[in-house]
Amino acid sequence: MSSNKASRIGEEIWKTRIDKVNTELVTLTYGTIVVQLCKDYDNDYEEVNKQLDKMGYNIGLRLIEDYLAKSNTMKRCTSFRETADMIAKVGFKIFLNITPQVTNWTNDNNQFSLVFDENPFADFVELPDDGRAQDELWYSNILCGVLRGALEMVQMQVEAHFISDVLKGNDTTEMRVSLLRYIDDELPPEDD
Amino acid sequence: MVVYSFYIFDRHTECIYARSWLPQSLSQHHSSAPLQPSTASDDAKLIFGTVFSLRNMVRKLGGEDDAFISYRTGNYKMHFYETPANLRFVMLTDTGTMSMRNVLHQIYINLWVEYVVKNPLAPVEHKNGAGVKNELFELGLDQFIRGLM
Repeated sequence: MSSNKASRIGEEIWKTRIDKVNTELVTLTYGTIVVQLCKDYDNDYEEVNKQLDKMGYNIGLRLIEDYLAKSNTMKRCTSFRETADMIAKVGFKIFLNITPQVTNWTNDNNQFSLVFDENPFADFVELPDDGRAQDELWYSNILCGVLRGALEMVQMQVEAHFISDVLKGNDTTEMRVSLLRYIDDELPPEDD
Repeated sequence: MVVYSFYIFDRHTECIYARSWLPQSLSQHHSSAPLQPSTASDDAKLIFGTVFSLRNMVRKLGGEDDAFISYRTGNYKMHFYETPANLRFVMLTDTGTMSMRNVLHQIYINLWVEYVVKNPLAPVEHKNGAGVKNELFELGLDQFIRGLM
């Protein structure tokens, strides 16, 4: 499927089939979660990243079903490139109304970057000035988990992590996604 | 059109939901030809084995994109729909019924996703059918199927 077609599909679903909520509600709710995690783990940002990823993973496991239902997807993507386009132009579009750019492919077509020009989670956010958060906390790390969980359900094992974030003073917010392998169908247990 | 029964199998090949619309006596008769009457869970295993083999065979012959849709015997027709997340829906109907692929897809979108997946308290994995048998899902399914008949 061409990436133009993916954009059209995303746009169409967003307009006709999605219930909208106030962005600030999303931003503030997500912020509250991150703040609570920082408190719970005593500002151990490595651990906060890990917890956000785990929460995202659990969201992804379910969100994929809503994605498949809303987008009326009947077939698997035929390539990882198509998968990337559908994630950016349909997935992110219908759930967050953003379309990150898909870019920086490796030659083997197994790794790409999502570059976020906008990120509703990070509106109004300033990382704490404690000398560590700027280096260690990946504020939107929940998104990595969401992708990992959602793709696992459609039999792709991926690894996802942020490599830059405007909150840390970088020029862009960029997530790197790598396909590790396609997961085989599970077989029924042998009869005794 | 008559719907006999309906099954859902998860990606771990387990039967997580089964429902029959046959009167109890009839369904006994239906499967009691061999000396040992088969139990509901044996039926489910047999059905899964059948659709899984057929699905794999269809893909081998027709390519990855080819979908196994239904088969028919002298007594019933079996309809199959599999989501990209490997959730499999199976329905047995009488032989005269048209394709139910769309119906199975609707059950997935309007009942499964709405009432099972979106229930925050239902588990993600439905081991032994946990979380599937909730009232909204069952009522919705029953209404939807009876509306077709």
